[in-house]
Amino acid sequence: MTQSVLSRPEVDAPPPPPTARGGRRRRGQGVAYLFLSPWIVGAALLTIGPMVASLYLSFTDYDLFEAPTWIGVENYVTMFTGDERFWHAAWTTTKYVLISVPLKLGLALAVAMLLNRARKGVGLYRSAFYAPSLLGASVSVALAWRAMFSTDGTVDRVLSSIGLDLGGWVDQPQYALLTLVALAAWQFGAPMVIFLAGLKQVPRELYEAAAIDGAGPARRFLSVTLPMLSPVILFNLVLETIHAFQAFTGAFVVSSGRGGPSDSTLLYPLYLYQRGFTDFRMGYASAMAWVLLAVVAILTALVFRSARRWVFYAGEDR
Amino acid sequence: MSTVSTAARRPIAPGRVVWHVVVIGVLLVLLYPVIWLVSTSFKPATEVISTLALLPRDPTGENYAEVFDGVGEFGVLHYFWNSLAISVGAVIGNVLSCSLAAYAFGRLHFRGRGPMFGFMMITIMLPQHVVLIPQYVIFQQMDMVNTFWPLVLPKFLATDAFFVFLMVQFIRSLPRELDEAATLDGCGPVGVFRHVILPLLRPALITTAIFTFIWTWNDFFSQLIYLNDPEKFTLPLALQLFIDQATQSAFGPMFAMSVLALLPIGLFFLAFQRFLVDGVATSGIKG
Amino acid sequence: MGRVSRRGAAGLLVGLLSLTAALSGCGAESADGPVTLRFVWWGNEDRAKATRAAVEEFQKRNPDIKVETEYSGYDAYFQKLSTQVAGGAGPDLLQLDRATVGEYAGRKVLADLGEHTGKDLELDKIPANLLEGGKVDGRQYAVAAGATTQMLIFDPTHFEAAGVTVPTAPGEKWTWAQFAEAMGKVGAAGQVAGTTDFGWAVDWFEVWLHQHGKSLYTPDGKLGFTADELAEYWAMIGTMRAGKGVSPAEVTTKMDGSVQNSGIVTRQAASEIGYDSAVTGYFGAFGPNLELAPLPSDVAESGMAAMPPVSFAVSQRSKHKAAAVKLLDFLVNDPEAGRLLGASRGVPPNEEIRAQVCSSAEGGSKAVCDYEVAQRDKIGPAFGAWPTGSSAIKRDFQRTYDDVIFNRVSVADAAKRVVQDAEQSLGS
Repeated sequence: MTQSVLSRPEVDAPPPPPTARGGRRRRGQGVAYLFLSPWIVGAALLTIGPMVASLYLSFTDYDLFEAPTWIGVENYVTMFTGDERFWHAAWTTTKYVLISVPLKLGLALAVAMLLNRARKGVGLYRSAFYAPSLLGASVSVALAWRAMFSTDGTVDRVLSSIGLDLGGWVDQPQYALLTLVALAAWQFGAPMVIFLAGLKQVPRELYEAAAIDGAGPARRFLSVTLPMLSPVILFNLVLETIHAFQAFTGAFVVSSGRGGPSDSTLLYPLYLYQRGFTDFRMGYASAMAWVLLAVVAILTALVFRSARRWVFYAGEDR
Repeated sequence: MSTVSTAARRPIAPGRVVWHVVVIGVLLVLLYPVIWLVSTSFKPATEVISTLALLPRDPTGENYAEVFDGVGEFGVLHYFWNSLAISVGAVIGNVLSCSLAAYAFGRLHFRGRGPMFGFMMITIMLPQHVVLIPQYVIFQQMDMVNTFWPLVLPKFLATDAFFVFLMVQFIRSLPRELDEAATLDGCGPVGVFRHVILPLLRPALITTAIFTFIWTWNDFFSQLIYLNDPEKFTLPLALQLFIDQATQSAFGPMFAMSVLALLPIGLFFLAFQRFLVDGVATSGIKG
Repeated sequence: MGRVSRRGAAGLLVGLLSLTAALSGCGAESADGPVTLRFVWWGNEDRAKATRAAVEEFQKRNPDIKVETEYSGYDAYFQKLSTQVAGGAGPDLLQLDRATVGEYAGRKVLADLGEHTGKDLELDKIPANLLEGGKVDGRQYAVAAGATTQMLIFDPTHFEAAGVTVPTAPGEKWTWAQFAEAMGKVGAAGQVAGTTDFGWAVDWFEVWLHQHGKSLYTPDGKLGFTADELAEYWAMIGTMRAGKGVSPAEVTTKMDGSVQNSGIVTRQAASEIGYDSAVTGYFGAFGPNLELAPLPSDVAESGMAAMPPVSFAVSQRSKHKAAAVKLLDFLVNDPEAGRLLGASRGVPPNEEIRAQVCSSAEGGSKAVCDYEVAQRDKIGPAFGAWPTGSSAIKRDFQRTYDDVIFNRVSVADAAKRVVQDAEQSLGS
């Protein structure tokens, strides 16, 4: 059905040369805005206003309840020069992003490849692997996590039995962040589903051709699967990175909102939240939000830029 | 429709057995916390806190009884319908508005397309906590607090940039020749959208619908902020609010509640996961 | 068109934000006639049932006042409350705790109840020492919804096994040295620590300060202690930790003041310092085999105080302040309301009602009533409400203590950092 319509031109035949783009007509302009009108209204009414407001507030002293007072760049100056916890939170989040994103995507890809077969029960397995993502991050997940990673919890006992006596992870500053990484990696359902989809798009002929050339499974993975999957990897990488920088709920519930022990799970968004809602310094929190926005935007732009080198488009028609 | 018969051609039974064993093995490890959670929901209150054991020593249904008791005034079904109304509203809104916007971004040429698209991506990156209060003020001024509008209206205005992005990528991968053929047949942009893009977009629309449904159903935070009247509470809100997390006896019911919340969306996913995978599969996501 | 409307929208929004904040001053009373109040609190189902029954009774007696009630868990409650108050849609009558009374009053969210006192708000039957807890800068912004005091709750089996007697009878007391010795013995005897490490919470440091004639905050909202004093206090606990008198770091770091995470309930400590309003919770989670004892003190002053576990306050922005005050007065003073509310927020603040509730109390509630009677002479006036910035201080205190117990910083440096951070938080 629709599938064949979509995949054939890309896979079987080389794409026809791009013809003159048909859309560049004057009446297209008005119609385009018509199509966009819900989005434009939404942006103007619900998005731009609050964003500008938060940008404005980032230059003020605003305690949530009294009128904001303009203080210029003071929030930004304090943040960069006088707030150790800001740098600590930034570094914690960096570590978190660097470990959790590859781990989550790796796990998602591995399971997706395992499930990419037409076998009995695949649908059921797929749903089972997605189950952790359905749970989200609730208080009971936090408690489950504590049961897994505390002293004498499941992980501790398993590790001790193989001679690795680390004690409980949640209670120790040097390991606590790993429990959050594990929580993120555990909920790999969404990227897995997207990888599965990508794997189905890889034409079987390529594997067969590679097999005839004598390529083993590892070689086939490196020279067929990865390149053919690279657009999907890019999509997942960008969205998961943005997502990881904003990770809040997991850290909030697992540490009961505190980011402990010893600030070891104080992710940037959690610190931002504490500043805004427990310390009543929403101006400062807004400034932190804009710094985060700038960093994530730059990183995303860099990823997109590097993508030109490693992302391979089948049937590219640029 | 099973176009995926990769390894299925030569049925070697032992290989299949090994595969099933591997998959189930991995599943057991990954689902251990879920199993622990479900089994804990059957532990009596004191046992919940005092042991980390997987199986309840003394299984009981009292946690579930307490949840249904606590839901109080309106009954579980009432809250279920509220949740359903909001989720379905959100699904319709997202499918409509995001596909319209995605068509404009993916196919049409107009002034300001680049900057507008960039702005849309930026909106994904701003932490929600700082726009919460300004947004609340807006809904407050429009007199929409304590109604379903703040939860549904934004979806009709394509504020979920993630889905617009998903559909834009999808539309870009559709062969342009189809539009051009339709244009030669005398279709304008509206006609192309209706007769060419929309039918082909169906898999992506299904993806959007399913993710929107699950995420809206699970979204505790905005429902908490915008709904005051218990009559308007959604299922997660009703379940969660009636159980104070600061008291010891609440732990058992809390697990029961998590399991209960998991059930409907779990069944929903189980029923639709085929479309979900096919949906993204054909959407040909590209960077 | 896009550009103009964008700027317009932004301007409008900023305007709205300042407007809602500016409106706070003008709480014009609306004319008589049917009014609708919103009354919010956090707490469990029992508290909710009791409170709603009392509200029901109030509505019966005041047919022209309709009360909408809402409640939720602690975190959700404050998240929603601050968003709504910031957005100009706060409730009329609200429940606050120790730290938040100061935070909200200092930011002009709460109405000064002084103008109602003696007229439509009767405070005579509430002990003056309890009322202290709702005062900020000498003005009454909140009224205690209950009464509680500091205590040591302990599991007697561990203490008997270690051959240690705890002073529980009226008039009996112990010194910090005796306390440390007892905890050390219990810790050495069994698998559990003598007591949960209490260094993490400012609340117990506050008691220690009062025994030394100091306070956490001065009446004008400055910091009331020095780094040296904090260092001395933490060093004292450090000695106990070395001898297993208090719980190890991995246990202590999980403390958040909730019963379910406490050392006693998780079977990791034989005793614990806490507020007696939590006793029914401990009984529910642990079982009834627990006893109460006073905190140790080296001086005549016990340092313990009658504290409001939670307080009621009226919003400054309420359009129906008179009605809200009427409901508040009903909740703390009416005998029927007292009967319905019971000990859902600690023992009742009103002494007459307390006697009535205590006479029929059992289980955990009885233990609290007995303890309050036994310690009656030792309990001093409530410490004043904490100033704005105290939420941040409370949190920073615990975070820094984490660094101490994990040996990441010396006690002296940690104490200095707490004082530094605190002064910054108070300055803003």
